[in-house]
Amino acid sequence: MASKKPKPTLGVKIMKFKRTSMVVAAVAAVTTALSGCATGASDVVAGSTISVAWNQSFYSANSSTSDGNATANANILYLANSGFNYYDSEPKLIKNEQFGTYEKVSDSPLTIKYTVKPGVTWSDDTAVDAADMMLAWAANSCNFNNVEPTYDENTGEITNQDELDAGVFFDSVACGGDLSQITQTPTISDDGRSLTLVYDKPVVDWELNFGIGVSAHVTVQQAFKDEALSAADAKKKLLDAIAANDSAVLAPIATAWSTAYDFMDMPEDTSLLVSNGAYVVTDLVKDQYVTLTARKGYTWGPSPKIEKITVRIIADPLAAVTALANGEVDIISPQATADIVTALEASDVVSKGITFASTPDSTYEHIDLTFNNKGPFDAATYGGDEAKALAVRQAFLKTIPRQDIVDKLIKPINANANVVDSQTTLPGAAGYDDIVAANGASEYAAVDIAGAKALLAQAGVSKVDVKWLYGCSNTRRANTFALIQESAKKAGFNVINKCDENWGSLLGSGTYDAVEFAWQMTSLGVSGSISTFQTGNGNNLNGYSNAKVDAAYESIQTEMDPAKQIALKLDAEKELWADAYGVTIFQFPGITAWNTNKVDGVVPAPLAPMFFWNFWEWTAKGNAVQG
Amino acid sequence: MNTFLSFILKRLGVTLLVLFAATYFMYVLTAYSGDPLEDLRTSTARNKEELIARRVELLNLDVNPFLRYFIWLGGVLKLFIGQFDLGKNLNGQEVTDLVGAAISSTLQLVTTATFIAITIGITIGILTALRQYSRFDYSVTLLAFIFFSLPVFWVAILLKQYLAIGFNDFLQNPNIGWPALLAIGIVTGFFWAGIIQGNRKKLLIVFAIAFTGSIALIQTLVWINWFNNPGIGMFAGAVIGSGLALLITAISVGLENKRARNLALIQVAIGLANWIPFNMVSLFVSPILLVLIFIALTLIGWAIGYYFGGEDKHAVARTAALAGFAMTAVVSLDRFMQAWKPYSESSFINGRPFATVGSQTPNLVSSFWVQGVDSFTHLLLPTLALLLIGFAGYTRYARASMLEIMNQDFIRTARAKGLNERTVVMRHAFRNSLIPMTTLVAFDFAGIVGGAVITETVFGWSGMGSLFVESLKRVDLNPVMGFFLVTSIVAVVFNLIADIVYSLLDPRIRVS
Repeated sequence: MASKKPKPTLGVKIMKFKRTSMVVAAVAAVTTALSGCATGASDVVAGSTISVAWNQSFYSANSSTSDGNATANANILYLANSGFNYYDSEPKLIKNEQFGTYEKVSDSPLTIKYTVKPGVTWSDDTAVDAADMMLAWAANSCNFNNVEPTYDENTGEITNQDELDAGVFFDSVACGGDLSQITQTPTISDDGRSLTLVYDKPVVDWELNFGIGVSAHVTVQQAFKDEALSAADAKKKLLDAIAANDSAVLAPIATAWSTAYDFMDMPEDTSLLVSNGAYVVTDLVKDQYVTLTARKGYTWGPSPKIEKITVRIIADPLAAVTALANGEVDIISPQATADIVTALEASDVVSKGITFASTPDSTYEHIDLTFNNKGPFDAATYGGDEAKALAVRQAFLKTIPRQDIVDKLIKPINANANVVDSQTTLPGAAGYDDIVAANGASEYAAVDIAGAKALLAQAGVSKVDVKWLYGCSNTRRANTFALIQESAKKAGFNVINKCDENWGSLLGSGTYDAVEFAWQMTSLGVSGSISTFQTGNGNNLNGYSNAKVDAAYESIQTEMDPAKQIALKLDAEKELWADAYGVTIFQFPGITAWNTNKVDGVVPAPLAPMFFWNFWEWTAKGNAVQG
Repeated sequence: MNTFLSFILKRLGVTLLVLFAATYFMYVLTAYSGDPLEDLRTSTARNKEELIARRVELLNLDVNPFLRYFIWLGGVLKLFIGQFDLGKNLNGQEVTDLVGAAISSTLQLVTTATFIAITIGITIGILTALRQYSRFDYSVTLLAFIFFSLPVFWVAILLKQYLAIGFNDFLQNPNIGWPALLAIGIVTGFFWAGIIQGNRKKLLIVFAIAFTGSIALIQTLVWINWFNNPGIGMFAGAVIGSGLALLITAISVGLENKRARNLALIQVAIGLANWIPFNMVSLFVSPILLVLIFIALTLIGWAIGYYFGGEDKHAVARTAALAGFAMTAVVSLDRFMQAWKPYSESSFINGRPFATVGSQTPNLVSSFWVQGVDSFTHLLLPTLALLLIGFAGYTRYARASMLEIMNQDFIRTARAKGLNERTVVMRHAFRNSLIPMTTLVAFDFAGIVGGAVITETVFGWSGMGSLFVESLKRVDLNPVMGFFLVTSIVAVVFNLIADIVYSLLDPRIRVS
């Protein structure tokens, strides 16, 4: 149906006027931008729009703060800001060298030089440069933080507000992470576009740590509102303060960095929304939608094709499907359940051009056995006889119907789902195939009741009680438990239901012999599993300890060669599977559905920012004229 | 009056105790319903412990819930020093802001539905009471029970599927097949035959008229593409306006009052005379201006009725004022309908006007009328879902209450005095039958603020209900308590109001 222009009512006229002024501003921006950089053709189709659904409202333009760290914010900021690298759908880390480059200058000490390309600007035409990177380091390393809030036990009130106001407190989600290893103030190159970071000790996932978040100049301007600083002065003020470690100046900057970017409706001061990427947020209504408009003059990255992307907030998965069928949104990624798949497969939905792809998520379900609770899997139970405990563990894992669980619980949602065979690497990521071919997971590929019985007999153990922990209200885990209980019974295991709503707080308590839950992978970094498998680390919740695994992870922390990293991971995994640590079962299924009559180029991806990752390849169909 | 005051104070005292006990139980139960750190515990972030420590500190999770309640209560009690504090949610947002936004969103959604449900419910209930054991009574009773027992999520999904998606599909190429037309005709025929009283012959005639009439009307509307370009026009406006004027006269003073009838019809003429000027200035109309226009035309009607009313000028003025109001509604409705086509054909809508989620079309900036249509298309479905289920209850209550009154002695006296049936019903029975309804309505208003959890979820409204459910899922204690505090206060306050109003309305009841 052809779109006709509506009658020119007054409101429409106002809108036109607004748009004219926006065009004037944009033209001005383009002229300035063009004078500074090489021309890159923009493929944005004027008037093209697309509407995407997400389940939570945007609430902070700084997703590096501990409050603002949520996918609802990160997705929007991914559309608005460029980064040094991003994950594609494989998943694989891709560098965006049109925006900036980074190179390892030295291995010892680990030294990385980040450089922003000339001509890269914020949407207010201020150049993106080392000052912005310096702020990112200062904030996320948390090295300048000299106060922490303390709370009154009785009232919950912050008791040291005055101190907090005077002191520096960057409320970063990365505090205590890898960037905190950079205690030396980074150096800025002469042209002001490079920053060199020197790590105190080698950090294997350095490539994933650093990016530019919010702009330096706006943050400083927010901190010193009454001084009306120019962008250049604001950057200088920041750099001087960092060089001199001037708490008096850094304190308000830290407060602005931590809190000024939190808003749920369009802020009056739109400078808070300056972006350095393909889009800029032009409208924001709490719990309703965020609209991003393509920036004129954006050349440091593949050009997007769609002028306006609106992200609507639809929390209910089925409501998202009907909204998609009714043409209100064009791409959805609802929480995946069998009901949603049925709804998307309905003929009247399919006939509207709706298609969907089931993709595995980066969260994977696994079963861990407890090694240190004097339970059936602990050698202490058998008087320190490790061989006996190992046989019991192996016997138990042999009874777990992994394929059956995937077939019954995951395949209805994702027909292509496979059993996950690696404790350390996501399927599809580099090295997964090599690792699973050799790590010994094949021992547990199929249920082997006879083998399990033989192992138990060999160990001289019969009638083993296994206390099994999971979250009671999680239907999928309850179903998994039922399947395992039934299968393990055949080999003589008595699996006892110890489900608990507070299962999370029971992790590591030793009150259970086996637990089923999921780890969320947010990156392909290798250091994530160090904490899980190394002796005594934070995520090592079952008392597992193996010198070879410890050694492998010790080496991997300083091993920068990807091929050798994979080899080390394989070494660790061989031990894990040989020790019958536990088993991995499946990746959480994810669903992305879209309207093929309205959008092309959607490719779901397992890691954040999910299907948003290739937004520049999206093309809008059939709505080229904006009313 | 003293007893009255002490009654209120006593009630308030009890209320505070109830609130304290209820919030305490709620707090502890919610705190033990799950683990607010669950998402962090399964995280593989390097600085996981630090993140957990921070959240523990932010939300005082290291304090036992039985005691942590008092930390929360301390924030609430700071109300008295002007620093009302409901704490923060897991994302560090202020709960007072969240609850404030959620209340306004919920009120927007539920008020209209409740108001319409009460009006229609009471009207139909009273009609069925007056026609007790008639076909109409039985049909309404049957429908009321069906609607009353429908699960709201199911109704919501049906509405989305057929009214939104189905009707939008229909609008792409408006054409109704004969089977559908026949079905519409039969349903309409049964409906009218159910309402109209009479013998079998009359029944058949009513059925036939309704059957052919509805088919002819629908088919005509399809032919003139009315569904994509709706409007009323002056001629139909005159017919509808006159009909409304006569109906108002009949209920208000009775059609035999020729003076009132003519003055009501004059309001229709005034509305028609204003038709073109109204359309010319309508672009500059804002919500406030529209309200002022309504008030002005209603007042004009009242003034005309008062001056030319003769003997019972108050009753005539009332009639004329109502007619003036109704006619203004017809004129504005026509104006809204004119905004339909530009709205529906704009690229924001792409010819699919009926929405299934949210409260507005993103980025739509346009005239008051187009925005009004946008609100309508978004409110229609959730309102219908709430309405269908809500009004059935009111029908039953209103019917029972009216039946009881109609059997009272004073009604017999009124009839014996020779009053006509309209006066007996409208002045003596109807008013008294509303007394028990006030209690019900007060309770329901308290329920409104609690939100319609399912309706809000299904239609993507972020009101009180969805705030509660989403927070409960994450064991996010402070927003849950913020929700609970507000709704429980509203509930007890409206309970109190219901008691007081009851005693004021019914002289037989005294507070003590």
